[in-house]
Order: sequence, then structure tokens, then C-alpha cells
Amino acid sequence: MIRRVRAAAAGLAAIAATFAMAGAASAVECPVKLGAVLPVSGPMGQVGERIAQTGQFAVELFNEAGGVKGCPVEYVLRDTQGQPTVGVDAAKSLVELEGVPALVGAISSGVSLPILTSVAVPSKVVQISCCSSSETFTQLAKEGKTDGLWFRTYATNRSQSAMAALLATKAGFKKTAVIYVNTDFGVGLANRFKEDVVKLGGGLGEVVAYNESQQSYRAEVTKALQGNPDSLFLIAFPVDGATITREWLALGGTDNLIVNNSLRSDDYFDAVGRQYLKNLIGYDSAQPRLPSVATFNELFEKRFDSPPNGPGLHSVFDAVTVTLLAMEQADELTGPAIRDAIRAVTKEGGTEVHPGPDGIRRAKELIAAGKPIRYVGATGALSFDENGDVQAPKMVWKLIDGKNTEVEYYSTEDIARLIAKLDN
Amino acid sequence: MILQHIADGLLSGAIVALGAIGLSFTMKILRFANFSHSELLTWGAYFAVIFFAVAAVIGGGYGTPIAPFSFGWPLLAALLVTAALTSLLAIALHHLVFARLNRMAGHMTMVFASFGVALLLRHLLVLIFGPAPLYYSSALQFAMLLPGGVRVMPDQVFLLGLTVVVVIALHLFLTRSRTGISMRAVAENPDLARVSGVDVGRIVMWVWIIGASCAAVAGVMYGLTVQLRPELGFSLLLPLFAAAILGGAGSLYGAVIGGLAVGLSENLSVMIIPTTYKPAVPFLMILLVLYFRPEGLFGERR
Repeated sequence: MIRRVRAAAAGLAAIAATFAMAGAASAVECPVKLGAVLPVSGPMGQVGERIAQTGQFAVELFNEAGGVKGCPVEYVLRDTQGQPTVGVDAAKSLVELEGVPALVGAISSGVSLPILTSVAVPSKVVQISCCSSSETFTQLAKEGKTDGLWFRTYATNRSQSAMAALLATKAGFKKTAVIYVNTDFGVGLANRFKEDVVKLGGGLGEVVAYNESQQSYRAEVTKALQGNPDSLFLIAFPVDGATITREWLALGGTDNLIVNNSLRSDDYFDAVGRQYLKNLIGYDSAQPRLPSVATFNELFEKRFDSPPNGPGLHSVFDAVTVTLLAMEQADELTGPAIRDAIRAVTKEGGTEVHPGPDGIRRAKELIAAGKPIRYVGATGALSFDENGDVQAPKMVWKLIDGKNTEVEYYSTEDIARLIAKLDN
Repeated sequence: MILQHIADGLLSGAIVALGAIGLSFTMKILRFANFSHSELLTWGAYFAVIFFAVAAVIGGGYGTPIAPFSFGWPLLAALLVTAALTSLLAIALHHLVFARLNRMAGHMTMVFASFGVALLLRHLLVLIFGPAPLYYSSALQFAMLLPGGVRVMPDQVFLLGLTVVVVIALHLFLTRSRTGISMRAVAENPDLARVSGVDVGRIVMWVWIIGASCAAVAGVMYGLTVQLRPELGFSLLLPLFAAAILGGAGSLYGAVIGGLAVGLSENLSVMIIPTTYKPAVPFLMILLVLYFRPEGLFGERR
């Protein structure tokens, strides 16, 4: 009974607070809605679910600091099932029925792209993705087809091929074969790598594509083995990647393997056998060594009882938080206003603000006082370039005594320098 | 490199050949295209997983490998046991589904029923064993280097040898034994065979046993040289049909030569076309055969 009374009292207090806040900011309608289009079911379901929860968590923290313009934020999540058609429908309903001015999502580039071109841009709504890495978006932005409404908090493929080329040449490999998955992601990465590795002074062997979910890849492997390459760059996902690696090693391929970040997975190591992967080397995105990152990690661990180890968790947190800060900053809650405000709250020279309720409260005070802020979050200082892309630090990992261990760290500046060198 | 592609083609073709024998026989004798045949390969492979698990409990398990192969005597026992279990499964399916339908259903109904059975069988395996790939042994077998720079895995050479043995045995069975001769009679004309005193029901059983046993052996050997996935058989469906159609329904040698031809053309094709188009090669073969020689290489014109 007492508990029920207490709950009722808390509810009343919350309603009263909402009214009070609504009174303070009469310009906007409460609650403020933020749309999220993420795959919480389907093949990406497990990853998507964690990402969706972390997005929700970012909203909760923001609400703890008083919400946007005095209104609590409602996080409206829709499932894409990892499918473009479902994703577009979900985004349409969010924009047209729920009236959200900004969308967070999606994960796969293949889903984010149709949402951007057929929903976000025509409806003038901001879209910010935690995970899509295809360079197609950069190209679209350059052609002026995104109206600047596209942002992402995850580094593009560009840095992945640069890292792989760097690993190949630093190890002194002279002839690197490439086997890549025949998707947008794989084709883009392989094509970039072909240029990058030569520019850094390495050499290229056969470059072979493979189709997903086949039983055996013997023909592909035999083709890649032509000319006896001294190393292999494998762009794959764990299950097929394991099949290819086993056939590659069995047919006499070198164990000098360079792999993309998706293969940094125990499923892959166990399926191939860790004893065969002693010379394997891979790259992955890393979080910068900053206090703001540590703050996020602590907050996350307190809330979920586990560290934020998983793809896209840091980046989705920042995608949501920076969008909400921009909403606070914007004069009105429309796509174009939020787009400009995202630039404003990440501008160099502003006062740095960090994640968490305290950081958000401070940010809101500064915004209210008309002072510029710069959000430094779970992925470090977000600095979107003119195409809405960010750079991220990278790390290099190996299996040492069978354990996946970080062996090198490249800061954002290192990566930017490397890419600049390659692009000139 | 062409030698390597030829070797790979022959070795992977041996699997297709074994699988296609059963498919070809059911097509001719039972007179329908059995789309669930490829699932018998998968079930055979997974039956062996159970066999090894049980063997591990009893003692012995996977056994000591006999050089240069990656497996020991238990594998040969596993082949026999899985062949028997897969045959039982095929006979059960025959009684539960195909025999009941065959009396009244048209050709297309049978095809769709077999599709349904295939889906059911595949997803049962997902349900029981999960979608993740399995391995009989996590040890990796390295290829032997043959003269001419060709690399082959000993296990695959064993499979090719086994295929030859199976084909010779089947040849003798079909030409020398009474059951084999009756089987050919039923294939020619079931009604005439029946009035001549052939027990057609018993012959149908034998067709399933031969087909399922060959499928089980192919499945286990495929699982051994690559890995086990619930989609193991499904991914071979098109090559199997291409081989059976190319060889001509009901022809033992047709199925074997068809299988080897499919394996060879898939592997050699990557020298000319991008690897991403490789899965289309069996399709192309089916089209060409149906266009130029619809009865297949060894089939008889009706």
C-alpha cells in the first residue's frame, strides 16, 4: 500500500514538474520526440538491441538533466529488421505520424541510404547514424544531395583500407592477396585498399570477391593463391571468414593474415583454431584516451552492469546526445535548425562539455547564457567534416597466447595524417 | 594453376556425383524431382556428429588419425551407421509424405511437397544443433603438394577413391543382382514390371536406401573436408540437379560424370569469369542441357 502511494506521489510530482517545465518553454510541444530506426530483430538483432538500449540510455541521462527546452524527451524506436524496405516504412511513419525532427539510424549502410534519400532529405529531417561506414554517403554529401542533413559518429571505410594498407606495408609484405565479401562494404573497402597498399609501397596479389553463405570457397582461395602472395587481407564476416581461412591455410596459403574489424570475434578464432592464427593481425576502431570516454564507460557500467564492449555502443550514445544538445541549441525544432545546431555544439573553441547528467546540465546553462559549447563524448571530440563524417582513433590487435590483445594505438590525428598522405 | 583448378574440380565434383546418384534414381524410378534430397546430405553429416558424440561417451571418440588422413577407423564406422540412419529417414519420409501423395497427386504437387519437406528438415537441424557451423575435429588438415604444384587434401582423395568404389559396387548391383535388374525393370515400365512379378514396393525401398546412403556418405565427407552447417545440402541443391539432369535421369554413370562435370566447370569458370558469378555456372549448365539435349548425356529419348 505504502509503495503504491509513493508511486502515485512520484507520478504526480513528475506530472507537476512536466507542467512547470512546459510553462517555462512554451515554444515547444511536450514531449520532444526523437526517432530511432534500428534493427532490433533479424540477422543484426543482437547487435541492434544493445545499440537501441544504449540510445535509450542516452535519452534517460538527458531527461535526468531536465530534457530539451524544458520538455522530457521521448525516444521513439522502430525496428528495421535489417531490411531497407522495412526501414524506410519505419522512418516514414516516424516523420509523418510522430513528427520527429531527427532520426537516429540505421546500422547497415544498405538500410541507412534509402532512408536518407527517400525520407530524411525530402522531409528535411536530420539523420545521424552510429554505424554506417560506406563511402557512398560521403560521395552523396559532396554532390550536395544530402542538404547537410546526414551525420555519422562512426568513421568511414576510408580509414579501414588505410589501416590495412599500413599494416601490410609495416610488416614488410611485398605481395598481398585480397579476398573480400561481395557487398557494398566489401567492394568499397577492397577497391580502396588496392590503391592504398600500392601508394604505401606494398604490392598486390590477386583480388578475389566471394558471395556470402556458400559451403566452400575452394575456387576463390585457389584463385587468390595464384602468384604465391606473402600475405592475405581478408574482408569477411565470422562464419564465412572461418571457412575461407581454413581452406586458405589448408591449401598452403601463408598464415600472414590481415583481417577487418568484423573478424575480431571469438566465433571466428574458435572456428579456425587459435593455434593457426599466431600471425594474424587486425585493426578496429578505438576510443580515444580521454576523461569523457571514461565517464561514459562508468555511467554505462553502472546502468547495465557490464562494460560497453560491443560495436556501435559509444557511437550511438554520441549520436543521440549530440542531437539532443543540438535540439536544445536550435531556435526551433526543425531539421534544418537542428542541422545547423549540430555544427554549433561541436565547433572548435567552444567550452567543452562531457556526457552524463552533470555535463548536460552545464551544457544547458552555457547554451542558455548564449555561450558556445563543444560536446566531447563517448567517442571523444566529435568533429564532423563538411560531409558529416568523423574520424576515429584506431587500434591494432593480435592473438597473443590465444588472447585477443591490443598491440598498437593510432590517434585521430595519426589517422588523419595517414589518410592525407594517401589522398595526395 | 589450371592443374590446381582441375584437381579442385574433380575433388569437389565427387561430392556432387555421390549426391546426384540418389537424385537421378528417384527422378527416374519414382518419377518426381525430389527437392528434399539435398537435405539427406545434411542429415547424414549431422547424424555423424551424433555418432561421434556417442562414440566419445563410450570411448574411442574420433579415434587416432591414420596418416595421411585426418580421421581414423571410427569414421568408417560412422559412414556405415549414418548411411543406415539416413536410409531410415528417407524411408520414413517416403511413407509419411511421398507414398501418400503419389497415389493421387500430380507432378507439381510432389515437387512442392518435397520443397516443404526440405524446409522442415533443414530447420529441424537449426532447431537441434543451432545455426553456427560445427566441425568433426577442429584440427586443420594441410594439403599435400603433388608434382606439378598441385595441392590436394588427402581426405578428398580418399573421397574420390570411395566414390569410384561405390560406383563400381552399384554397377555390379544393377547388372548382376536380381534386385538390381528388377530396379531397372521398374525404371523402364513399372506396370509391366509389376505384372511380371516384381515387388515394386520393395524396389522403391531399395531406391531410397541407395540414394540416402550415397547422400549420407557425401554429406559426411563434405562435413569432414569443409564444415557442417544446416545449409550444407541446400547450397548443393543446384549443382546436384545440374549433375542429374546433365547425366540423364536414372543413369548411374550419367550422375557421376554429371557431378564431376559440374565440379570441374565451377572451378574452371573462375579462370574466365569473376568468382562472384561462380554459383550461376550450374544454372547455365542446366539451361544448356535442357536446350540441346533434354534427355541428358546418358538418358534415353522418350
